[in-house]
Amino acid sequence: MNFEFSPEDEAFRAEVREFIRANLPAEIACDARRWFNPKVDNYRRWQGILAARGWGAPHWPPEYGGTDWSAIRRHIFMEEIYKADAPDFFWQGTHMLAPVLIAFGSADQKSRFLPKILNGEESWCQGFSEPGAGSDLATLRTAAKLEGDHYIINGQKIWTSDARESDWGFFLVRTDPTVKPQRGLSFIVARMDTPGIRIRPIRTIDGREELNEVFFDNVRVPQAQLVGEPGMGWTYAKYLLDKERTASAFLYFNKRHLQKAKALASEQFAGGVRLIDTPAFSRKVARVEADLLALEWSVLRILAQEKNKYDLNAVVSALKIRGSEMQQRVTELQIDALGPLALRHFERRDATIDDPTWMPGWPELAIGASSLFLFERAATIYGGAREVQKNIIAKLAIGS
Amino acid sequence: MDFSLSEEQQMLSDGAEKFLAAHYSFEQRRALLSSEAGFSEQNWQTFAELGWLALAVPEDAGGLGGSFIDTILIMEAMGRRLVLEPYATTAVLATRVIAQSRNRELRSSLLSQIAQGTCRVALAHGELASRYDMRAVQTCARPEQDGYLIDGVKVMAFDAPSAHKLIVSASIADTNEIALFLLDANTLGVTVRSYPLIDGTRAADVEVAAVRVNRSSLLATGREALEVLDEAIDRLVLARVAEGLGAMEVVLQLATEHLRSRQQFGQPLIRFQALQHRLAEMFVEIQETRSILYRGLAHIEAPAAERRAAVSAAKVVAANAGRIVGEQGIQLHGGVGMTEEYQVGHYFKRLIALEKAFGDVDYHLERLAGSGKGV
Repeated sequence: MNFEFSPEDEAFRAEVREFIRANLPAEIACDARRWFNPKVDNYRRWQGILAARGWGAPHWPPEYGGTDWSAIRRHIFMEEIYKADAPDFFWQGTHMLAPVLIAFGSADQKSRFLPKILNGEESWCQGFSEPGAGSDLATLRTAAKLEGDHYIINGQKIWTSDARESDWGFFLVRTDPTVKPQRGLSFIVARMDTPGIRIRPIRTIDGREELNEVFFDNVRVPQAQLVGEPGMGWTYAKYLLDKERTASAFLYFNKRHLQKAKALASEQFAGGVRLIDTPAFSRKVARVEADLLALEWSVLRILAQEKNKYDLNAVVSALKIRGSEMQQRVTELQIDALGPLALRHFERRDATIDDPTWMPGWPELAIGASSLFLFERAATIYGGAREVQKNIIAKLAIGS
Repeated sequence: MDFSLSEEQQMLSDGAEKFLAAHYSFEQRRALLSSEAGFSEQNWQTFAELGWLALAVPEDAGGLGGSFIDTILIMEAMGRRLVLEPYATTAVLATRVIAQSRNRELRSSLLSQIAQGTCRVALAHGELASRYDMRAVQTCARPEQDGYLIDGVKVMAFDAPSAHKLIVSASIADTNEIALFLLDANTLGVTVRSYPLIDGTRAADVEVAAVRVNRSSLLATGREALEVLDEAIDRLVLARVAEGLGAMEVVLQLATEHLRSRQQFGQPLIRFQALQHRLAEMFVEIQETRSILYRGLAHIEAPAAERRAAVSAAKVVAANAGRIVGEQGIQLHGGVGMTEEYQVGHYFKRLIALEKAFGDVDYHLERLAGSGKGV
């Protein structure tokens, strides 16, 4: 056993930290820190800056513009990104679609799509879930029928994040209704402005409209936009979900937001004492902190490829359960720190500290804190609900 | 970063599993429980022969000077079998205190006796008013010409009934500095009042009434004494996190086996999703406990502030997990889980004993919160 990062990895960390310090524009860091009303252009600019350094998609193979970093180095990189309040990647493109294209896409698809994902020029959204198929993807119904050299798509997707801001989307569609449910699915990409695609935002309890319904009404998509083999969509979707196994821990997000909770609790006072110094609140923070440190080491164990007597899928499900619960707990801490100030509702359009309607003395991090807290109720629902994860553990680790 | 065991560590771990599987069946343990001493002197000798008692003894004192990971492996194996011998108290806690002492003579003679299995040493530190506060020592040591006169009452000295020697803390009159003394358990004026604990191990209140000791029995004083004690207790706490981890893994195994074999409503209980989810929740707790244990191990040699924070985080996670796993373990067994005759309740009691010894969750949360060494 050896629990230290190698000197080479520590040197790598220093290099990453220095690059971010020298190249992250202050206004982008500010945007990411406030997170609530970011300018999408800022995030695209940052993606371009990383890509120019060769770090636009570290997990891709080098020949596509990725790196040959080990899993531990990618972890160090993400730690430094989040520590510096730099934006995360546009995951749907860089982490979900791209690995599938790299593994299964045609040469044309790779050369058409990958460079623009890498430099931030085009952004992507994901459409898997449907009103009748949430955690149970095998029952998807949106149909794609081949007519000549086009697929005609009819149906509906739901819970699609950022659909209106995206240039392209990737979808699971049913191309063969006659075979076993998992066998009839295919993986297809479409421009979001294709005629027949209609997007309806869903206003969620947090007051934002990040999620959408996407309706397909006789949408014509060239056959060449089907990825890989028809009928392999289920396999590709699983491949995509298996690719970044430790992502479901939301480790970097959780660490950043625990820091913010602490920062808020250092600015708020209770009975003349900083909230962070009161026994009740400091213990509450420490309780979350202890669990987050455990989660961090659960991630490290997977990254360092610990030999584990349990099925890796079960171990990853445990990460997902803890990681999603942690997202809820760190954001709960933030509103607990804010107390009554947490009650203020912010709209994206008006929420900036530079706004004339802003109240003097309010903490900057109050903006959107309750919105995030509300949104995080979804963390234990999306990406395989907590209950589905428990089913997986029971089956694979315990053998129920 | 590498989480795999070395060949030697794997052998040590397998060897411990094997020995304990042969000598620590539930029935064998039950017999020990009701014996006078509450454990087997023969097992203790075997621990010495296997080198387990020398693992944490430095090489210059005749020990193996192994890495702390070795100790952790033994403790995890012992946790799986609910071992009753006072291994952690002597071979982890007392060994460390003595190894860090600058009293050369005591250090070399005691450590070699410990390694050979001829001397067990317990710590008599806690008092009725101290709870978990290390500094709150009312037992008093009055300086005299050649030594000290000690008076006081210690409570809950774990494994003191079977100890040959006691490390007794006292506050030195006038300076209020803390000092650690080594006393023979049978010294005139020392009364050891024994009692069993809920997990079958033994502890004692130790009354020290007008006991004169020589200067040569002083292990450490002042700031150094506190630091030595603090560091040694941190090692013990982490070792017992490993012990709890071993125990929790067995609870999950027992509960799973029970749900598989027990038929109700025309099918094995394990078919019920509500029960499967309980098992899954226990699995998550166990995973996280192992992770925080490794994090603790990674920081055990770190500067005090970081070490303390890491050990406290480990204790918090493990104690919380122990409650969940232990309580669910009983619940999933139904009525049989309540019986003294069946194993799972004994695991629960050990987990509670681990939780409440050397700082409970509130104590360690406080220590972690005040450390400034978290995320």
